[in-house]
Amino acid sequence: MTQATEVLLPTSAAEAVALFGDGSGVTIVAGGTIVLPEITHGRIAPTRALMLSGAGLDTLDAEGSTVTIGAALPVARLAELAQDVEALAQCALGVADYEIRRQGTVGGNVCAGAGRDAPRGDLQGPLLALDASARSIGPDGETTEPVADFLGHRAGRLLLDLSFEKPAASAFAAIEYPHTHEYTVLAVTGVRTAGGEVRLAATSLADHGTRLPSAEAAAGDPDAAGAAAVADVKLGDDALASAWYRERTLPVLVRRVLSKLEEAR
Amino acid sequence: MKAVGARLPRYDGIEHVTGRTTYVDDVRVPGMLWVKALRSPVHSAAMSGLDTTKAEAMPGVHAVVTHADVPLLEYGHLSALGIPADEPLLAKDEVRYKGQPIALVAAEDEETALAAVDAITVDFEERTPLLDVRRAFDDDAPTVHQWGNWYTHFEGEMDRRQIRKGSIDDAFEQADVIVQGVYRPAAIEHVPLETQVALVVPEANGRLTIYSCTQALYFSMGVVAAHLQVPLNKLKVVGGTVGGGFGGKVDTATETMCALLAQKSGRPVKWRWTREEEFLCSSTRAPWHMEIADAVTKDGWILGRKMLTLHDSGAYARFSPYGLTKHSFHHTGAYTIPNLSFDGFVVFTNRVPTTAMRGFGVTSVSFATETHMSRIADVLGLDPYEVRLKNANRVGDTSPNRIVYTDPSTVSVVKALAGGMDVELATEYAAMTRDPREGDLLPAHLVGQLGNPEDH
Amino acid sequence: MKLTVNGTPREIEGAPLTTLLHVLREELGVTSPKAGCEQGGCGACTVLVDGEPQRACLTPVGAIDGSEVTTVEGLGAPESLSALQQAFTHHYAAQCGFCTSGMLMAAEAYIARGGTDDREAIQEALAGHVCRCTGYVKIIDAVAAAARGDAFDLTVTAAGTAMTNLGGVS
Repeated sequence: MTQATEVLLPTSAAEAVALFGDGSGVTIVAGGTIVLPEITHGRIAPTRALMLSGAGLDTLDAEGSTVTIGAALPVARLAELAQDVEALAQCALGVADYEIRRQGTVGGNVCAGAGRDAPRGDLQGPLLALDASARSIGPDGETTEPVADFLGHRAGRLLLDLSFEKPAASAFAAIEYPHTHEYTVLAVTGVRTAGGEVRLAATSLADHGTRLPSAEAAAGDPDAAGAAAVADVKLGDDALASAWYRERTLPVLVRRVLSKLEEAR
Repeated sequence: MKAVGARLPRYDGIEHVTGRTTYVDDVRVPGMLWVKALRSPVHSAAMSGLDTTKAEAMPGVHAVVTHADVPLLEYGHLSALGIPADEPLLAKDEVRYKGQPIALVAAEDEETALAAVDAITVDFEERTPLLDVRRAFDDDAPTVHQWGNWYTHFEGEMDRRQIRKGSIDDAFEQADVIVQGVYRPAAIEHVPLETQVALVVPEANGRLTIYSCTQALYFSMGVVAAHLQVPLNKLKVVGGTVGGGFGGKVDTATETMCALLAQKSGRPVKWRWTREEEFLCSSTRAPWHMEIADAVTKDGWILGRKMLTLHDSGAYARFSPYGLTKHSFHHTGAYTIPNLSFDGFVVFTNRVPTTAMRGFGVTSVSFATETHMSRIADVLGLDPYEVRLKNANRVGDTSPNRIVYTDPSTVSVVKALAGGMDVELATEYAAMTRDPREGDLLPAHLVGQLGNPEDH
Repeated sequence: MKLTVNGTPREIEGAPLTTLLHVLREELGVTSPKAGCEQGGCGACTVLVDGEPQRACLTPVGAIDGSEVTTVEGLGAPESLSALQQAFTHHYAAQCGFCTSGMLMAAEAYIARGGTDDREAIQEALAGHVCRCTGYVKIIDAVAAAARGDAFDLTVTAAGTAMTNLGGVS
């Protein structure tokens, strides 16, 4: 099955970009936690596989006020940002289990398409709330854009890195499905910027994660913000929970996050 | 007695921790072929035009089998227990559940086997499936099975397991309250870590060596021999360590299917199910639908129980009649109820056939009974431990099928539970034992209903 | 491609996208890692790659060219069981044994990185591993015992295993 695939093993970011080209016919293999099962079970048969394990895209720069995360950084390493962005570290440590976190990448998590049975992309929430910039390669060459825009057309692009300004405070609240590893039923991230702006985002929705603009507009009143949040999202039924359940628990998570942000003043 | 109370090593303990335990998938035989199955994509359909010629012609494909290759297509696994054969090894004119195997391919590698399966063509004329046991009795319900929508071959050609004891009408008349409940435990997957797997090696002397994950080696041997119509001495079954079974590896058919492929190809053939196949296509513990109406007195005596059970057998009978039988004998749980009216049906639906799983047939009714006891206590405003202790099986009480209890443990278990929950029982309840009923524990409705343990 | 497997250098024929699980089991005959789900959900395939536990079913060999792979076979043989293997045997941490290889490798790595007998920490480390037989308690007992450095009286000879600690089931 894998004999017919051309495997590309770039040893630098530049080489990865060059080999990616405009992305047509390329399957990206980063950590492999999502792609390998698809290949094993015959659901995809890559013709050109771009393996990023040696391409040096696993950098983490958090020295100054800007944090830059290489797309191939293992999810587990986001724990190193616990002091600077507690919500991102907390979210990361809730993904799957110890082994998957060390193998799966930030880019894989952010770029993942909707799962067949359960939502993916937990990290999208904190990155949206941080209003991170996503630098990626696509048919149009290199683009840097807000992650919210990137998510809308992430398929077929090679994510290079994500950058954001360190926030004044952040908070994360999630409902986890108790299981061997954890699955996130619903999660909300809140960020307060140095300038005092409050941003909110949710994941485990019907599609990818989104900001919660109506809730943000009412951020001063957690109850109102929680109630308003429902209008900002499209919820779905899946193996973990129903849209009905998520509609009732979203306001609770919004309230919790806003109250944690308040405590962090 | 040096073994009792001693710490003895597991005989396979060292193998497990050194990675030396050999499961079926660890056996390596030169020339092994991989197997993949064509399975029904729909719940219920008439099937026609099955054409495997393209698959057979593909390079790397060594054998394809369908119903036409099976010497005895339908074999009753429990025909010795009076359950007639009803299930084809491979689908013939119709498919009755999503995932039902239709054809099997043995090829050089997994990828080729998958491609060959895709190359098999077949036509389906979909039918409305029956997926809810409650609808099985409707006049306009789709018909699932050649016997109708429920099993009709209990002894005396009865279409249900029926228990009648005492007078349920008297009990209902004398009751202060009728407490009702409906209990619907869902299907449960066994989820063994090791998925279904079999390896069959054709030997030069015409025998077949079968490596199987079956929990029931001799049983499976008989099944293979029956379908293939060969004497038992043509088969050598190598059992071994089962990577978890829990009842789900008793009605295995993978050995038979691999045996057919091994015979046809002349090569060793291995079939290991994917985790998806294991979840979607392997048999489960059955879902049950149980309705209970208990005639109870204000002070917590259960005079009678009227019960209806629908056991979801899925598309075929397999062991369901046996499971329902056990269920019926235990339908009063750990408690004594003298007047009974029980009717239980093995219902066919267009779902994966259900099978044994730990406590087959009985866990369902234990769950229902215990929940119902608490409901009775709740409705009557009584203590749930006291209601249980009062009605608990005692020496001399009888089961639904008139077995006289000689050594029931209900009283001591309920008292231990109370102890474990730091609940202090009232003196008279704390003093209760399993001794034969007398005095307050032998109310009028139980007089004459008990048996003499000495007679058994 | 080259891998060192349990201390022995091996040449790998498989294509770069072949999973490490497939290479170990089918190409190299190392069968202790198991194909429980082949989608990273059960942990039965976990091995150590350069000392770190990861799912062999999710690892393309092309990504680990030149690495050291350790499996259960590399932990210890019957006559020379490691402390962890002894702990699993003593505490009856295996029933059918299918999850055991993965549990052992995850536990080995946990202890190697300083894991203690804290039960919550052990659960967190083994969170990706499913067991359908034991109910997990004895597995955690075994890992805690090994982390603590408990000693065991196991003797394995050609005649079988003797547990000299007779005198009451615990």
